[in-house]
Amino acid sequence: MTDKMKTNPMLPYLGKLVEVKDIATEIKLFRVEMLNGGGEAFHDYKPGQFAFVSAFGVGEAPFGIANIPTNGDATLDFAINRLGSVTTDLHELGVGDMVGVRGPMGNGFPMDKFKGKNLIVIGGGIGGAPLRPVIQTVIANRADYGHFQILWAARNPSLLVFTDEYDNWRATPDTELHLTVDQADNTWNHDVGLITQLIERVAPSPENAITITCGPPIMIHFVNRVLVEKLGFMPEQNYVTLEARMHCGIGKCGRCNLGTKLICVDGPVFTMAEVGALLESFL
Amino acid sequence: MSFEPKIIAYMCTWCSYTGADTAGIARLKSPANIRDIRVPCSGRVSPELIMRTFEQGADGVLVLGCHIGECHYNTGNHRAAKRLPVLRALLAYAGLEPERLRLDWVSASEGERYSHITTEFTETVRALGPIHWRIAERGARFVWDREPISHRYSAFNDEQPKHAIYYTPVYDQQTQAIRTTARDLLANKQVDNVIGFEVGPRGRTRPAFIHQPEDVERLVWNQDCTHNLSAYLSKKLGWGTDGGRKKQPDRLPKAAVVVKPCDSRSINVLLAENRFLREQIYIIGMACDGIRQGAGFNNEKSGAIQTRCAACNERTPVIFDTLIGDPETTYREIPPEHIYPGIDHLNALTPSERMNFWLSQFDRCIRCYACRQACPMCDCPTCLYERDDSLWVGMGIDVDEKRAFHLGRAYHLAGRCVGCNECERACPMDIPLSLIHRKMAQEMETIFSYRAGMAAVPPPFVTILGGEENLP
Amino acid sequence: MNYLTHQELAAWLDRLAQEHTLIAPLDIAGNILYRPVSDTKEVVWDFVRSFMSVKEVFFPPTERLMLMEKIGQQVTLTETLPEGNSIIFGVRPCDARGLLTFDALFIENEPVDPYYARRRENTTLIGLACQSVGASCFCTNVGGAPDDPTGMDIMLTASNGGYVAEIITEKGEKISKKYPVFDGLSEIRPHPTHARKRELKVPPKEVWPARFNDDFWAEMAERCLSCRICAYVCPSCRCFDVRDEVLPGEDGRNQSERIRCWDSCNGIPYRRVAGGHNPRFMKNQRLRNRFFCKFYYFPIHYGPVSCTGCGRCIDACPVNVDITEVLGYVGRRK
Repeated sequence: MTDKMKTNPMLPYLGKLVEVKDIATEIKLFRVEMLNGGGEAFHDYKPGQFAFVSAFGVGEAPFGIANIPTNGDATLDFAINRLGSVTTDLHELGVGDMVGVRGPMGNGFPMDKFKGKNLIVIGGGIGGAPLRPVIQTVIANRADYGHFQILWAARNPSLLVFTDEYDNWRATPDTELHLTVDQADNTWNHDVGLITQLIERVAPSPENAITITCGPPIMIHFVNRVLVEKLGFMPEQNYVTLEARMHCGIGKCGRCNLGTKLICVDGPVFTMAEVGALLESFL
Repeated sequence: MSFEPKIIAYMCTWCSYTGADTAGIARLKSPANIRDIRVPCSGRVSPELIMRTFEQGADGVLVLGCHIGECHYNTGNHRAAKRLPVLRALLAYAGLEPERLRLDWVSASEGERYSHITTEFTETVRALGPIHWRIAERGARFVWDREPISHRYSAFNDEQPKHAIYYTPVYDQQTQAIRTTARDLLANKQVDNVIGFEVGPRGRTRPAFIHQPEDVERLVWNQDCTHNLSAYLSKKLGWGTDGGRKKQPDRLPKAAVVVKPCDSRSINVLLAENRFLREQIYIIGMACDGIRQGAGFNNEKSGAIQTRCAACNERTPVIFDTLIGDPETTYREIPPEHIYPGIDHLNALTPSERMNFWLSQFDRCIRCYACRQACPMCDCPTCLYERDDSLWVGMGIDVDEKRAFHLGRAYHLAGRCVGCNECERACPMDIPLSLIHRKMAQEMETIFSYRAGMAAVPPPFVTILGGEENLP
Repeated sequence: MNYLTHQELAAWLDRLAQEHTLIAPLDIAGNILYRPVSDTKEVVWDFVRSFMSVKEVFFPPTERLMLMEKIGQQVTLTETLPEGNSIIFGVRPCDARGLLTFDALFIENEPVDPYYARRRENTTLIGLACQSVGASCFCTNVGGAPDDPTGMDIMLTASNGGYVAEIITEKGEKISKKYPVFDGLSEIRPHPTHARKRELKVPPKEVWPARFNDDFWAEMAERCLSCRICAYVCPSCRCFDVRDEVLPGEDGRNQSERIRCWDSCNGIPYRRVAGGHNPRFMKNQRLRNRFFCKFYYFPIHYGPVSCTGCGRCIDACPVNVDITEVLGYVGRRK
């Protein structure tokens, strides 16, 4: 029996922070344990869905869910960059503090449609957070998917997320991990340059392939351009997860529309073909 | 149990805070009601900070700084000396007892003076009783059920006042002169566009932006040209305030703008604040005999002139590149008591009556921000009262938040508002904003002998004390 | 058909006001606004259109969603649903149509918004047919009419010094039982009359996308002030903002409330994110979005066109941005 009144979509579930750790400069990973049965709501969670995290007394904001909440023992991971008032308040919290969670929301990635295909996951900075459950799904069901390439980027090495998992990713069969930063430091011994340059260098093949990109809007725009114009991908093969300022997450407040699509209910996952057909630009 | 007031004291670290320490070391008694907050300088204590302090329940606010001439930052306390008396006048006008806010000077060695001031102030506030400022209930409503207090000079009588002016419509000569000037400017590419007035399909006069010489026939001049078009200038011409580009573009955008005398004063204020450069604007100044009440909308046909026009002393713009028209002066002698009686009427009420009046006015406010958007001077990239972190005021559309917004805005406009009253005209709820802004303008004139916009000079709040101020 | 004299109507409303919250049009400093009344002597009976719509009653400018209290690390949430019944007298057909768009958004579209749903369920509408059409009214162009009873629980039409009253729904019947003159449910009149034919027609959904990149939007937006008057006076605009605000603390209690407030896509910070990026930075993008939302996006998502033709936005805009000019432009272009 949950303590949240199920009929009220504006009321959050209560969650307790069980782990808070720094994973990059100004980026923390929050592990939230759902209380009072609130985890049941995430039973049918799909990678790519998001949830509203409440810093009680300040407000709430939408964040991509960065893991796959396991049934019954529902803990949700959120990778949160400190930038505004809600995220600053969240960064002040520690283990044992309570937050609110409203979700899951959005359409998620159609992982079933991706089965049997080669996947190329492209993450830029904090954009890597909603891609992590995709990677985890592929690793857990390796045989269902084809060749797997992960291209991970950030402005500089201190902004790369989930660095402690890279070895695990590399160790997965038939998987490549490529890293790049715009500006290196003296500890860096991987590629240096923009993500678009890395993509051209790695040159994934469009045959039977799906790309999944998440990052700042400008990155999504240029990544798609390189994939389509230089490497021969069709926009239908390029999946992206977009974001916008949101306040309800359930298609009522009207804020997050991109042309005819509401990012909270019709998205946040779109193909670039759908995005390209929209009247409004997401830039 | 007698009432123990909560008093917040903002004390500058160099003099008054040290003075408080001196008092402590000398074991001089100071009331425990004083909660001190150390600031670098009394000049740092901003008005919205003080207003927020009252809203959060302080019964009294004490600001202590170094004596004039002894400020650690030379002139920081000049700001406090200038700003706080005006803030007191504003808060008193809104119904807060002015004795609840005190500014004083205490030097580092003046322990006894500190003790005396704090004791005296605590007793003053204790006698006033607990503060009734924040209403705090969601959805509380206020209605003014006493005799109306008007911001229209003709509204006290039902029949048309003797001094109302009835207009003959459209001024053909001025219209032609504007069109000719605009055509030349655009054809010679002296400006990128001309901002003027046109009449829309419903017969309402509205702002027009002309980009091509062939479109100048849209421009008109009539008795409904009420808008202050200088409100559009900062966005069109500025390169630093918003739009993100911070460095001066290679080719400066230029515009011509049709202005009345009040609007031209706005331009002076904007120039003094470096919103854009003088060479970016070509000012088409209009001699003006006043604008009709109800202009810009379709609802009033009386022909009486607007109150701000009845009170206006300028007939020609104070800054222009071209002057069009000759003013008539046949109606100049309107007795002042017929023009803004509302302010005197309010001054005569008790503080709690004034508070109820303003609460009942802001009750109708829907926080649409039309007043702010219509104002040329309100141009902050993020309005202080619209922050996502609710720092100075919450987001709610209830009477506390709305009053905080309006009073804060009135304060920010003191010495900058030229009295064009476009905020009041734009207000969909007919809130008498002119009664606040005019009051602030009166204070600025009384204390600093300053009228906004008569020249492109910085207003009193950003300059240091000159010695001629009439500080209360 | 039931007929009431004016005195009988006033007496009935007075009786209702004793047992319910009666909301009726009042003159507040020259503005006709719907406010609670205890006595019908204050009511304005003769008006063209109120300044604000009845949207205020169902979707208040500020609404508390929940209370939060922190004690140490423990947080308690208390849902704050609206309580109480009300009856609104003097609702114009355009406002009732606005409520139908809100119903499509908040109730018919999952998940149901319980705050709006409660208020809707606990409020009875007594409609008042228009006796004249305002200069800026265009309800007939969006499928309404000055005497349209759609959405009302009881419909009153002035006639011969009194009112013809139709009891339309069970909710209406319940409150009419307080007064013996009414004789039960009657059928909804099948053919609402049309007061005046106009040339302007509302362009259908399909023609809007082709107009998206036209210069028209930038031209009209040049004079727009980006205030929010049009959205706030509109009976069918529904954008809102949600935030937590700290409540004044008593005895050191750490309480805050989560509120939602009106917002408008016209405002500059509407889509600005914490990092500063603002996809609708330009005025023309925002203005265009508002009209496209009303006539294109909203119908696609929820069904009805989000405009009731009341004309409030036209009258209230300080710089004469006119929705009928927009509709005329979009409708004219092929």
